[in-house]
Amino acid sequence: MPSTVSISTNPAIWVLSEPDEDNMNGTTSRAWRNGKADWKMHLLSIFSLSVAFVCLASALLVVSNLDRVRQRWSRVGRTTVYLRDNADPAQVQELREAINRTAGVRTVRYVSPEEARRELVAESSDGALAALPAQAFSASLEVDFQEDLADADVSSIAGKIRSIPVVDGVETYARWSERLGRLLDGGVAASLLLSLVVSGAVISVVASTMRMALERRRVEVEVLQLVGATHGYVRAPFLVEGAAQGGLGAAAAVLLLALLYSIVRGRFDGELALILGVEPIFLPWHVIVAMVLGGALLGALSSAFSLRRLSCA
Amino acid sequence: MANERQEARFKVNAMRTGARFDPAAASRPILTFENVFKAYRADQPVLRGMNLTIGRGEFVFITGASGAGKSTLLRLLYRAETVDDGRILFLGRDIARLTNDSIPMLRRNIGVVFQDFKLVPHWTVFDNVAVTLEVLGLPGRLVRARVGEALERVGLGGRGGDLARVLSGGEQQRVAIARAIVGEPAILLCDEPTGNLDPLLAIDILGLFEDIHAAGTTVLFATHDRTLLEVRPRRVVVLDDGKAVDVQAGLAPMEASSPPLRPPHPWVREEPLQENAFDGLDLYEPSHLGAE
Repeated sequence: MPSTVSISTNPAIWVLSEPDEDNMNGTTSRAWRNGKADWKMHLLSIFSLSVAFVCLASALLVVSNLDRVRQRWSRVGRTTVYLRDNADPAQVQELREAINRTAGVRTVRYVSPEEARRELVAESSDGALAALPAQAFSASLEVDFQEDLADADVSSIAGKIRSIPVVDGVETYARWSERLGRLLDGGVAASLLLSLVVSGAVISVVASTMRMALERRRVEVEVLQLVGATHGYVRAPFLVEGAAQGGLGAAAAVLLLALLYSIVRGRFDGELALILGVEPIFLPWHVIVAMVLGGALLGALSSAFSLRRLSCA
Repeated sequence: MANERQEARFKVNAMRTGARFDPAAASRPILTFENVFKAYRADQPVLRGMNLTIGRGEFVFITGASGAGKSTLLRLLYRAETVDDGRILFLGRDIARLTNDSIPMLRRNIGVVFQDFKLVPHWTVFDNVAVTLEVLGLPGRLVRARVGEALERVGLGGRGGDLARVLSGGEQQRVAIARAIVGEPAILLCDEPTGNLDPLLAIDILGLFEDIHAAGTTVLFATHDRTLLEVRPRRVVVLDDGKAVDVQAGLAPMEASSPPLRPPHPWVREEPLQENAFDGLDLYEPSHLGAE
């Protein structure tokens, strides 16, 4: 037979040859061709995955903002020194000057009982509080610290002030910060739990989709194995498809959440900033990248898991 | 450039330690079954100590009753099954001892044609044939050239763009044959390739295999269709009771001078076919057999 072919696959070569490394060229195009053929199935799978990822992304969004609030309040740099009712004004003035001279203290402001009542009434709409007389409130010194002052130093200064006789008590807002920290820890734990649930959902959805795809392409797989495709060559497009599903599912979830966030932020931005003291933020870019890459990795692993019984024969 | 690289790689492989040129290798049988046992159920062995030798460039019909082990024999060859005992030497290498990683390399040297064609229906004719070369990582230009050539050989030149599912049964089988031969395999295994075709088309396809054989390819043709055995004078191996029995059959003896190896097997028609048995049929006449 006349042949224009210079490359031969003659038996002698086979006897001498070692198995080639998988030729991954065209894996993406084969995955694309297969994906196009089963696009409805893949679309459904990506939708299911995006629903799962939206839950995770929402949790991460809450945790991110909670962490921001905690950071803001842990660096509040403010302490309130409550004075005894019978404190001598001269002693108070002396104390004020002494605190003002302390390293790390920026300003010290005296708040009289009348001012304290006025501020509280202005911030709260509670009628009962407004009805309280000024005597119900303590005079205080509002101490502002420099921002770079360590928490330990603030605690140390607060401890020393607490021991002065005219001082009734010192509020460093550490408990508020601790409470936020505990809330954040709970949020992180919930997110981790949720990420496990989402991982399970991703594995289940991708593995089921891949098993269906494998069933639909049984002849194709058989043919590939018959003509001498290596195990890797046969599996590669399935892995790419699984990774694409996971990645696209996560990306779709981020887009959906961004849309919801933009709607919510437009309406409640001011209120949230007033309540929390910080502007709410969307997911940081590194979290988005990690989620998409994680989704892709999880998709590929799920796909590999579903193909584990695909034998060489 | 890519061709040169590929050839260079082959040469490097050939020069590896332990890879010596052996001129005697060319005269050795391409395939040897040595005392092969195979059973799917312990109480029903399919092959029981089968011995068979196939020379290079032979065209051999494998026949026998349903369940005799024709398909099993072929499946053992491309390692879809493994032997329970015995050896199958393909080009001197024991197939049963190949590692999983080596099985694809074995299959790249074997073309297989099935009764049910095994085409991917939503792929084009070109894609169905090209897959054999794509797994080898050959460049696209070369793949296109060789697929075009293979399609010409099976009479489907210019049909590369058609979807496989729109083809007739005979055309689908031709595509399957093109896929099997495009990689220039050392041996072609045909597992009842005419089973789904009408008699006329079956003989037509058989002629195609004859042409492929004439180009130097060893062909193992498993069939239970006795009619085909009588169309061409070829070596016939009957699988009976788990063993291979060499018989002569067909319209003419294998070689005029050679006596029958054994008495005619009951599976093969003993009475000669009527001379006018195929009168009126427009049979495909392989070019190399035109004078017969």
